Formats: sequence, structure tokens, C-alpha cells
Amino acid sequence: MQVLTLSPGSMRLEEVLSKVILTVDDSASVRQMVKFTLSDAGYTVIEAVDGKDALTKLTGPVNLVITDLNMPNLDGIGLIRGVRANPACKGIPIVMLTTESQESRKQEGRQAGATGWIVKPFTTQQLLAVVKRLIG
Amino acid sequence: MIDHRQAFLDEARELLVELESALLEMDQNRGDAEIVARAFRALHTIKGSGAMFGFDDISGFAHHLESAFDQLRKGQLTVTTDLINLSLGAADQIKKMLDAATGQEAADTSRSEAILTELRFLRGAPDAERPPSPARTETAPAAEGGPVREWRIRFRPAPEALLNGTNPLRLLGELREMGELRVQVDTAALPPLTEKDPERCHLAWDMLLETGADAAAIRDVFIFVENDCELSIQPVEPASPAAQAPVPAASEVRRPAANSNTSSIRVSAEKLDQLVNLVGELVTVQARLGAVAGRRDDPEVRAVSEEVDRLTSSLRENSMSIRMLPLRATFERFRRLVHDLGQELHKQVELTVEGAETELDKTVIDQLNDPLVHLIRNSMDHGIETPEARVAAGKSPTATVHLSAQHSGANVLIRVRDDGRGLDVEAVRARAIEQGLIHAGSQLSEAEIVSLILAPGFSTARAVTDVSGRGVGMDVVRRNVEALRGSLEVASIPGAGVTVTLRLPLTLAIIDGLLVRVGEAYFVLPLANSLECVELTGRDIEAAHGNHLANVRGQLVPYIRLREYFRVTEERPEREQVMVVETDQGRYGFAVDQVLGDHQTVIKNLGRVYRNTSVVSGATILGNGTVALILDPNRLVQSAIRSALRTKSSGAIQSQDANDGAKNGTQRLQGEKREVVL
Repeated sequence: MQVLTLSPGSMRLEEVLSKVILTVDDSASVRQMVKFTLSDAGYTVIEAVDGKDALTKLTGPVNLVITDLNMPNLDGIGLIRGVRANPACKGIPIVMLTTESQESRKQEGRQAGATGWIVKPFTTQQLLAVVKRLIG
Repeated sequence: MIDHRQAFLDEARELLVELESALLEMDQNRGDAEIVARAFRALHTIKGSGAMFGFDDISGFAHHLESAFDQLRKGQLTVTTDLINLSLGAADQIKKMLDAATGQEAADTSRSEAILTELRFLRGAPDAERPPSPARTETAPAAEGGPVREWRIRFRPAPEALLNGTNPLRLLGELREMGELRVQVDTAALPPLTEKDPERCHLAWDMLLETGADAAAIRDVFIFVENDCELSIQPVEPASPAAQAPVPAASEVRRPAANSNTSSIRVSAEKLDQLVNLVGELVTVQARLGAVAGRRDDPEVRAVSEEVDRLTSSLRENSMSIRMLPLRATFERFRRLVHDLGQELHKQVELTVEGAETELDKTVIDQLNDPLVHLIRNSMDHGIETPEARVAAGKSPTATVHLSAQHSGANVLIRVRDDGRGLDVEAVRARAIEQGLIHAGSQLSEAEIVSLILAPGFSTARAVTDVSGRGVGMDVVRRNVEALRGSLEVASIPGAGVTVTLRLPLTLAIIDGLLVRVGEAYFVLPLANSLECVELTGRDIEAAHGNHLANVRGQLVPYIRLREYFRVTEERPEREQVMVVETDQGRYGFAVDQVLGDHQTVIKNLGRVYRNTSVVSGATILGNGTVALILDPNRLVQSAIRSALRTKSSGAIQSQDANDGAKNGTQRLQGEKREVVL
């Protein structure tokens, strides 16, 4: 049991409490893999099946969004735009998962406000490295 | 990783079903972009997730198809029948590859090649692009084995970097992990406080990094931002150390969160079956407990028993609902069947689906596939005419097979309707006479004649097919449906088609029943069909002049006395009770000695010997160990009507219940039924 002291100079609150990552993918197997990997690393992972679903789940605190680009209802680009347009979600890092290594799609995502990307297929190590880079 | 692979295999199979249905819809709606997008997404996910979990062959194969659908999406290619057929073939091929991954025989790679070659041809362009190279590394390779050098790094993020979720401090932190880092902040661009936008980044950093990693590894840290930031990375010769600057502390403290959200989990069907079996046992034990509690006049025991009863009921309902699945997947599968058969038979047939969201027990659904395939095949093979014949008959050249599902009490009605030529009633009649099912002189309505095609023995004769245009294996379908405790009806309108209705119980395992007693025998009637219970005294019987009619608030309701039907010999009580039940034939009553109350009924099969006993749909074990037969009110009424008709006109149908009687082994069910006068 970790003792939580909030005196100056001690560990910051956000470092003690687990960070929340929202994984958005219409593929259940990818969501499962992301969830397993990140939960193992101590993050709290919540899932959404598409962009529309994700927007409803962004009402709570979320530290990072990992989203697929091709999804029904609302795709990844639309989700990124939606998040960036929402003042409550200001500055949340967004990672796009893409199988399209074509520059155009990535560019579109970046213009919409994505923070980073991971090209599928990726390994759990790569996923963790990117998450660590963005939210520690 | 094993778990993820299995999840992928399950998911890919679902995606293939989705792909198939999209392809078939595409065939009918060639301009619909949303359908193309659905097919694309399915392939895209198969490709992407396939590569994630090491199915490189599947991923590579799906990639080519995906490219074709991407072209469709962008309007660079148009939907053709060839393309759809090829894609369907490709979907089958992916299915084989998935099977191969679960240890079944390996998929034929030459078939894959053939599909891809044809696909290239259809796309009309040499397939220049390559499938994505597996696992492109985008994170730091951290090649720290190299010689330690010093690097000068200048980094100025784009002003809107913070808004886009980049935290420059993380990047600096990552550099620090690579070696000895000294940082100096450059505040030159910082505007006066009054003009400063706190959400924009105005800082730049000059850093000196001593590390064994190379320039590429350092650049990799900045990979997400390098396109819109100012970044230079240069090796330095013996360093002139820059002044150390404290890192500005910009922190965001977020509220704690621990809301985990699981939408669903996959459980093997076997486990669910086990659960339902256990619940079934529990219900039986509960009935025993109830019986014991009832005998002992102990309020405490009774209270516990009632509590357990309540819990068991909700446990039962819960575990049953877990097994309920929508019919959609089953229905969608038939699109493929209709498409393929249509091609084979050179008929234009469209499948329309209604009520696919209707839920049914998984075990029922699993066993429903074969009968439905049979019915659809029959419709398409015999019922539906060729396009030319349809036009000649003044119909649209495209025929329709309509599949629908709807709830009806404790049953689900599934209909297969076609708009073909209908049954040739005269031919059916002639055949039935020939087979000795009816006498030449019998007066039968058209509906009765049509229902003869369900009679055992009738349809097995192959020659009939050519005459009647239908009939192969209808009794097989009937047996399948009856094994599910369901029933089957056929209606035909000459020239306008045939409708076959399957009536199926929602669940196979446990039902709510009403326990009744006749003499020393116990029976269960399904509660869902029961309407009310009235008393029947000797005076009532007198008032009806010996006819089996009960007066239910001014309305006459015919009843069947179970005592007579099952030949119970014990003395009849002074007062009987009549359960009024809603049946297919309208309201009927069942006269019993006593109605004991509702009963959670775990259905046990009666076994092979009683397979042809239609009026009894199963048995259940009561709390005291006695066996009670579960009655099928519809069948009971039908059987009673038939035997009544038989006594009236001796030119009779060789009826179902005579069949029953012949095969029955129990004392109660033995022998010929006594006529029930209505």
C-alpha cells in the first residue's frame, strides 16, 4: 500500500493514480490487445467501439486516446476533430493506429490534431513506448 | 498472445459474415457508398488485426482485396458481378485460411494466387503496391551500444503543440533517459504577459546530450512532432558545456479515475450450456425443498424456501437470457445461399429479411439452420419460376424470398415466404390418394390438402417433386422442427406463392408451467398460453347436456377432459377445474381434477420410444420425485378434433394421433384414444 503524501516536493498526484487511456477500435481483438498490454503496465483502460462511442466516453477524465482510423459511424479523423473541438478535452494526447502507412492519411490525422501515431502491425513494446512517451 | 489470437479468429469470422452480407447487398444496390465502406472496413480490420496477431498470410491476402475496395470507395472502380463473385470466393478463401490457423487442413495457396491474379485483372492495373512490411519500428531502437558522443539539439515545438497533446517535457525526459542531458530554455519568443496565450507554447530548448545512441535514435524521439517543429540535431566535438537551466515545471494534475468499462466478454457456449444445466438441477432441487417446506408446518423453513424460489426464478431467467441471440447472423447467412442458388438455377431472387433482431435460444438457433436451408432451397428450386415464366405470368422477373421472425407469446414465429407459383393442390391430392393417405372420396379443404405434404411418407417419394413442384424432405423439416418442440404450417396461394411458418419455443430447457392433477397423475401445461381457470360442477355438465362445453362468463368454451383423454380410471371428483388455454384453434379448456399452481418446469426429453408422441412435449420431475408429463395444448386440441372427426365420418385421415397411440409405451398413453365429443 502506497502512502500518499501531498506535501511539497513529494510525488505528484498524477503519478500515483493510474492514468486513464481510452482505446477506440472497431476490432475487438485490437482493443483487447491494447487493454491487456496497458492494464498490465498499470494504466486504466476503457474501450469504445467507434468514434461516436468514444465521444460519449470522453466525459470522464481521460489522459490519452488511442484510436483506429477506419471505423463505422465516426472514423478516427472525425473523432480527433471532435476531441479537439471540445474545450473539456483540451490537450489530451491522441494516438492514431493506422495500417495505412500512406503519408496522406497520417497527414490528415495530424492536421486534425493527432499527437502521434502507431503503424499497424505493432508490438506490445512499441505500443508501450509510445504511451510512455506521451503520458509517461 | 494465444488469447488475442483466438479473439482475432472469432472476430475475423464475424467480419467475414459482415463482408459477405455487404457484398450481397452491394449486388442489389450498386451505387451505395455506405455498403462499399462496410466491406472495406471489414477487410481493413481483417488485414490490420491479422498482421497484429501474426496471420501474415491472411493479412497479405486481405490487403489486395482491401485495395480493390479502396478503389471502389474512391470511384476508381465500379461494382461488377464478376468482382462481387470473386470477392465472395475470396471471403471463402479467408475462411479456409482461418480454419487452417485452428489446425484444420492448410488452405490451398494456389487458390489464393488464382484469386489475386483475377483480382489484378479486374482492377485493370498492375498491382504496383506491396503489402505493408511487417512491424515497422517507429520507436527508439535505443542503440546504445555505439560510442558515446555529444549532441547539440535545438528544439522549438510548434505554438499549437500543447493543444495537440504534445508535452515537450516528456520529450526532454525521454532524451534524459538516453544519457547525460543538459538543458537551457530559450524564452526569447515569449510575448509580454498581457499578450500571452497560455495554451500556446513559446519556448525553445537548447540541449546537450551525451549518449551512445545515434542521430536516428535521437530524431526518433521527436518523430511525432518533427514535421511542424524546429529541430536540429548535430554532433559536437569536445563540448563547451552550456549553462544548466532548470526545467520549467508545467504540470497538469488530473482528477483520479478508475472507471473500467467492459462492454462484453466472450464465453464458450459449452460453459453456458453447463450453467443452464446446473440451473435446471437447481430448479428441481428447489421444487423438492418447496415440497418439504410445504409438508412441515414451519414458517421459518417456508420463508427460506420462498426466498430460494424467488432467487432460482431470477437466476433461471438470467441464465436463459444469456443464451438468447438475435437471429440476424442466421438470416444474413442465407443471403449467400440465395445468391449462389440463384446463379446456379438461373433465377433472379431477392432475399428480404424482417425481424432479424428477434432473439431465440442459441440451441434453437443452432438447430434451425438446416430446416431453413431446406425450406429456402425448396422455394428456390421448385416454387420460384424462371424469369421468363414469371414475366409470362405477369410477375416481376425478380422473385422474392421473404424471411421473417416475430414473437408470439412463448413462441417465435419464423416464416419463409416466396412469391412463386404455389402448390399444385390437385397434384398433391392425387399423390396423397395414391399413397393411401386419404380416400379418393374424402372431402378436404385446400388447406388440409396442402398440409398433407408434411405427412410422413408423402414427401419422401421423389417423383412427386416433378408433379407437385415441391415436397422433397418436408417431413424431414417437420421432424427437425418438432425436435425443437416446434410446429410447422404450410399455406399456399396458387400462382402467388407458398408461406411456411415455423413456430418455435423461445427456449428448450426450462419453462414456466402450470401443474395440474388428474387422479394420481400430474401434468404440466405451459403457463404462457394459459388464460384462466374456472370451476366445473355437476350442474354445469348437466346444463351443457353432456356436451363438453364450459360456460366462461357467458361464453361457451369447448373443453377436453384429460381424465378421458388419458384414460385415468380413478373416481371423478364432484368439482373439476377447467384450465382455459389459448391455442392455434382458439380458446380451449382442459378439465382436470385440481390445478396445483405454477411450476418452474425443467424439460426432460422422453427419449426415443416416445419420439412420435406429439401431444406430450416432454416430462419433468416434481419435488417429490414424481414424473409429470408436459402437454402441448395445440397438439392436444388438434388430436382431439381429429378423433372427433373420425367418429363422425368414417372416411378418415390417417391421423397423427393414431400414430401416437401405436408407438406409445406408457400405460396412460397406451391404446387408441377415446373420442372426445365437442
